[in-house]
Amino acid sequence: MIPSVGEKKGKHIVYTVEQCIKCGEKTKRVFKLGDYVFKEIEKCQKCHDKKNISMIFSEKITPA
Amino acid sequence: MFELLLGPGGGLFGDNTLYQLIFYIPFILFLFYGQKLQSYMILGEVSRAMGRLKILKEKSRKEAMDYITSNLKPQSDTAEKIDQILEYFTIMPVDMDPSGIVGKLEHTFTIRDDRIKSEIRVLATEGDLVQKSAAENILEAATALNFIFKIIRHFYVQGKRTSNIYVLISLQMIMPMILQQANALMEAIDAFKQIQPIGDGIGPMIVGKMMLDYEKKEIARDTLLTECQYNNRTLYLIKSTGPGGNVGEPGKAVEKLINEIDADIKLIIMIDAALKLEGEKTGEISEGIGAAIGGIGVDRFKIEETASKRDIPMHAIVVKQSLLEAISVMKKEIAETAGNVSEIVYRIIDEKTKEKDKMLIVGVGNTLGVAQ
Repeated sequence: MIPSVGEKKGKHIVYTVEQCIKCGEKTKRVFKLGDYVFKEIEKCQKCHDKKNISMIFSEKITPA
Repeated sequence: MFELLLGPGGGLFGDNTLYQLIFYIPFILFLFYGQKLQSYMILGEVSRAMGRLKILKEKSRKEAMDYITSNLKPQSDTAEKIDQILEYFTIMPVDMDPSGIVGKLEHTFTIRDDRIKSEIRVLATEGDLVQKSAAENILEAATALNFIFKIIRHFYVQGKRTSNIYVLISLQMIMPMILQQANALMEAIDAFKQIQPIGDGIGPMIVGKMMLDYEKKEIARDTLLTECQYNNRTLYLIKSTGPGGNVGEPGKAVEKLINEIDADIKLIIMIDAALKLEGEKTGEISEGIGAAIGGIGVDRFKIEETASKRDIPMHAIVVKQSLLEAISVMKKEIAETAGNVSEIVYRIIDEKTKEKDKMLIVGVGNTLGVAQ
């Protein structure tokens, strides 16, 4: 049996989601080279606790 | 003039020989040369697809060369070395007497991996472990594209030379799927270059989150073990070492943990990405029984062997995705399943074990761009 290979992806943008470990506040920005999941980054502006990258994913560009 | 051509008979054709000839010639041509004509059309179609494969093969070689040159800064010319690596082959162990074949397979593939690693080490004068593992992944994809091109070219030339229409028809039938796979490999190179997590990394991502803030130690090559507590139970967590593009040796790690460190494991939960069938949704979560791990079968054999000897139940959780999604940058639908899968893991632990029990959770897959 041949599993699904999937359709060609088309244009997409890769995003990085940063999340505060304490207050859970999330911010989404465009991926930059050097980002990886669970990388510790600067402190949360709200509660000044540790923040890390919780997700990196690609999203299809949808025409506005 | 027309009357002369149409003849005195009139009607559609009448008894005019010219019209009769025009009507019958195609039939006679197709009767004798139909297959030839069809094979010309197939050859044209396969040849166009071959051209596309050749472009992808050459592009992947160039990408590998550019990545190695700019990140690992080799002293000598890389082109020759990369061409040599792209042509590497692995001879599978003989399976006429299958007893002990798993050990032989493991040995062969360990040597293969070591060889690639050592070639990268020799080439690299700069670059960290993550970049070196990314280079390995890029080279692996480029080697696969090179191999696909060579196999297809072989059948194309053979079919053309022997005028074997059946070989050509087989090629024409599988070509769309081959092209899709080749495109998927090309997309994978983009993710490898930028150290972005791929769909296959969902297992390591879930276990990696559980490992955060706990001490980790290497239990097998490129494989980490962590011990932590949950609801008065001991959890052993295993995942490959990130954020480099490693898959680790989960089979060896499970075997070592249960046989040498702690034999009192009551449950094994494995989390992996699984290839979906057409019609299934990306990011669908499925629960099942057994060792959720792909590859050539060595790791699965080891885990099954260890678990069955000690009568440890194995639970599997998989996140469905297509081949393209599994090897290219993780899609949002896949990344967002992490929370739900974690909930399932804790639900299984609560339901199937009691306090003071010990269990093992393994995150299977390529951990590129995912730390712990």
